[in-house]
Amino acid sequence: MPELTFIAAGLAMGLGAIGPGIGLGIAVSKAMEAIGRNPDSYGTLFVPYILGLAFTEAIGIYSLVIAFLLIGAG
Amino acid sequence: MPSIDIAAEPLFSVGPLTITNSMVGAVLASVVLLVAAWVFTRRASAVPDRIQGIIELPVEWVAEMVSSAGGKRWRSYVGLVIGIFLFVLVGNWIGLLPGVGTIGIVHHTEEGTELLPFVRPASADLNFTLGLAIVSFVAFTGIGIRANGVLRYLRHLLIADPWWMSPVVTPIHLVSEFARLISLSIRLFGNVYAGEALLAIMAALVPLALPVIFLGLEMLFGFVQALVFALLTMAYVILAVAEDQQHEVAHQAPGQSTGLVGMESSA
Repeated sequence: MPELTFIAAGLAMGLGAIGPGIGLGIAVSKAMEAIGRNPDSYGTLFVPYILGLAFTEAIGIYSLVIAFLLIGAG
Repeated sequence: MPSIDIAAEPLFSVGPLTITNSMVGAVLASVVLLVAAWVFTRRASAVPDRIQGIIELPVEWVAEMVSSAGGKRWRSYVGLVIGIFLFVLVGNWIGLLPGVGTIGIVHHTEEGTELLPFVRPASADLNFTLGLAIVSFVAFTGIGIRANGVLRYLRHLLIADPWWMSPVVTPIHLVSEFARLISLSIRLFGNVYAGEALLAIMAALVPLALPVIFLGLEMLFGFVQALVFALLTMAYVILAVAEDQQHEVAHQAPGQSTGLVGMESSA
């Protein structure tokens, strides 16, 4: 049933994007808050901030890969 | 609707070695970097002119980041981090040049015509990103072992802090160690591949003006992903090395910590 495979791929990507989306939102809002309160913290914040975003975003990328695999299998 | 194959397409083969179009992209990126390095080390002067300043800008920028976060041994691996950054950056941006995804061999099949591009950005192939992740893995394991010795490195990896927690903690440590390989490679591949697919689909849907916006976005993403790969390599090296500095933390001035220790468990 190839039609269901495509639905599964869409669901995998869509549902898998919810968590990382919320997580990235929290991370960015907190970072903005920190920079807003203390603009000098930008330099110290930058590297851990980018790394945290990368770790969060990786989960979304996993579901993207699963979606690609499903499309490839279907 | 154009589609981009998830695997790199083979162009020709030399004996048992098959040359794919993403290998052409990787070689192209290396050639660009090598030629730039050769030209600019020959004519480099202590007082940089405008072009030399542009070339030195990313190198200095990454080196500054590594030196401020990387602990005492940052000089021993700063070259690796800068090399990964520049290689991935050039490899990503090559995919945005006009003609890279559009010039190639046209195949006529029953389902229609299919284009086999000559060049594909290197990071849009999982083989390339996995290879780069293995380089990073070997590097941070090697640097960690050189800093701590084999026994101390393995003890820290395999034995938990209260020793009787080891049966629970050790498998988690091992899995997270190897999950780094997977997450490093899949992250870069997924981003660049999805970017390529997005550009192709956008160019097919709205050929006028709209793809330019996404080209700009892809330039940003290519840069951020190169930075993320390089900084993650740096973070893993710091985590592997910092084990012998944990006892010296008390002597360190406050505010000098790298802020990366808490990320040890996340992959």
